[in-house]
Amino acid sequence: MSAAQFSRQAAKRQGVYWRPLLVKVFNHSILILFTVIIVYPVLWMILASFKTPGELISNIWGLPASPAYQNYADAWEKARLGRALLNSGIVSIGAVLLVVCLSSIAGYAFAKFSFRFSTVILLVFVFTMQAPVPIIPFYVLFVRLKLTDSYLGLILAIASGTIPLSIFIFQAFFRSIPNELREAAKIDGCSEFSAFLRVVMPISGPAVATVSILTFVGAWNEYFMPLLLIRSDELRPLTLTIQVFFLQFGRAEWNVIFATLSIASIPMIVIYVLLQRWFIRGLTSGSIKG
Amino acid sequence: MPATAKPKNAPLKEWLRRASKLSPYLWILPALTVYGIFKLYPLVSGLQMSLLRWDGIEEPRYIGLRNFQRILSDEMTATVLMNNVHYAVGTVVGKIVLSLFLAILLHQALRGRTFYRTSLFMPVVMSFVVVGVLWSWLFNPQFGLINSLLRGLGLDFLVQDWLGDAAVALNSLILVDIWKWYGFHMVIFLAGLQSIPDELYEAARIDGASVWQQFLHVTLPMLHPVMIVNVTISVMGAFNVFDIPFIMTAGGPANATNVMALHIYIRGFKFYRFGFSAALSYVLLVIVTLVAAIQLKLMTSGDNTD
Repeated sequence: MSAAQFSRQAAKRQGVYWRPLLVKVFNHSILILFTVIIVYPVLWMILASFKTPGELISNIWGLPASPAYQNYADAWEKARLGRALLNSGIVSIGAVLLVVCLSSIAGYAFAKFSFRFSTVILLVFVFTMQAPVPIIPFYVLFVRLKLTDSYLGLILAIASGTIPLSIFIFQAFFRSIPNELREAAKIDGCSEFSAFLRVVMPISGPAVATVSILTFVGAWNEYFMPLLLIRSDELRPLTLTIQVFFLQFGRAEWNVIFATLSIASIPMIVIYVLLQRWFIRGLTSGSIKG
Repeated sequence: MPATAKPKNAPLKEWLRRASKLSPYLWILPALTVYGIFKLYPLVSGLQMSLLRWDGIEEPRYIGLRNFQRILSDEMTATVLMNNVHYAVGTVVGKIVLSLFLAILLHQALRGRTFYRTSLFMPVVMSFVVVGVLWSWLFNPQFGLINSLLRGLGLDFLVQDWLGDAAVALNSLILVDIWKWYGFHMVIFLAGLQSIPDELYEAARIDGASVWQQFLHVTLPMLHPVMIVNVTISVMGAFNVFDIPFIMTAGGPANATNVMALHIYIRGFKFYRFGFSAALSYVLLVIVTLVAAIQLKLMTSGDNTD
């Protein structure tokens, strides 16, 4: 975009100097339109969570006359959201811990050691990680291992899905760490494993963050696994709780439903906005190299 | 790789050498165990279940390939698969065209890029349950935002029963899916656009290429790798889709939004036909694998001719 080129192009178009400005206005208006299409429904959901049932019907677009905080109290009690938040938290954090531990150790082995079948194993990951699991044998397995209706079962179900991608992320990161570091630690008397634990892991924050975000967001939003594996009310995570509540009361109490939806999504959205760079990098890391 | 120790104790040295050869396997063993038991084992053990007539409670009965015969002769299979194909075409075309278009605009509009990117990517962190329940209200025929907006704009002829009309319902779900993911695909395209060197555009301009020609002959070919990624992700998503139809329409009205994953779930856990459901899973698995292979073949074979 040199100045000479710019003026040449402008001259070509017979002195249409406002053209770049026009392009800019066009770009921004389209982008704003599609941003509004995304953001407005979410903002509307939050507004609707403060409306009365009457206002939801008579006052679709406006602000609530006075905020109906009662919706949140109702949501909290009727849908037992406190318990649901706790369950989602336990399962998500459990899944993050399990995935980070298992896949960092495995990823290190794939990055730094050469051993037979390593390529074969990685290829098995590549070819099976996207395959939809047949749910009947999956469910029967969990029943036989007595892992239905438990936190551990849900954590294992979610973790098993994200392990391959997490291994690839760790492997790529560890490859970029110079071997000298590991050799130096070993000369200082560290075993291979303690060199990994004490020297390599402390500088692997970016990879840990990427895998943690990917696993946490996936686990927090996971709906199918709890639907399949969780039976008792006490263990339902947020997603399943909302859906069950929606089926039971939804048609009659939409205002309370919007309060539940807001409680479920606002914390995640706030964290996302604060850490947006990390989140976007983490959630696209399977698709963009590096 | 094994450390060279002084040859003092030969058997010990030999043992250490073997142990250090085994040790990489110890590192990958925990991850491999979890993945092997909970992902690979069901992929294999279901094959035997697909040959059974079994309700999950009583003694299973071996019936050979009868489940597969029934799937192939069942009209429902065709209906459900066609819905998946429809869903795939709708979501893939919608997501790719829209997100590429927005990525190109965003690549040029420097001011506010972080704001746009953050806002457009936001639905990715929301659960499909929240998105599905929210949109089933937005689609409400009487009080929903969509019809209210259309009436306000004087577009009354577009007002409809978005989820209740069998002719429209599947397209409504497609819109929701596009809504949730276009920001995601845009970010990936944007990363691709940023990796294209400016010199290529300069060279094209010097050769007198128009903006459109630059798009066709520089942007698109250079975006080929990210295009493959984006298409693969959305195709896989479309053939595995479960949450949106399950939550928003439960496959209705009259199976208009019933898709493979939902069909498998309903046969298995509503009608307790475990064997049939397992067999259906393998049909889906074969279809997904074929679609992925064909799509990759088509997209990568273009490389040689270009």
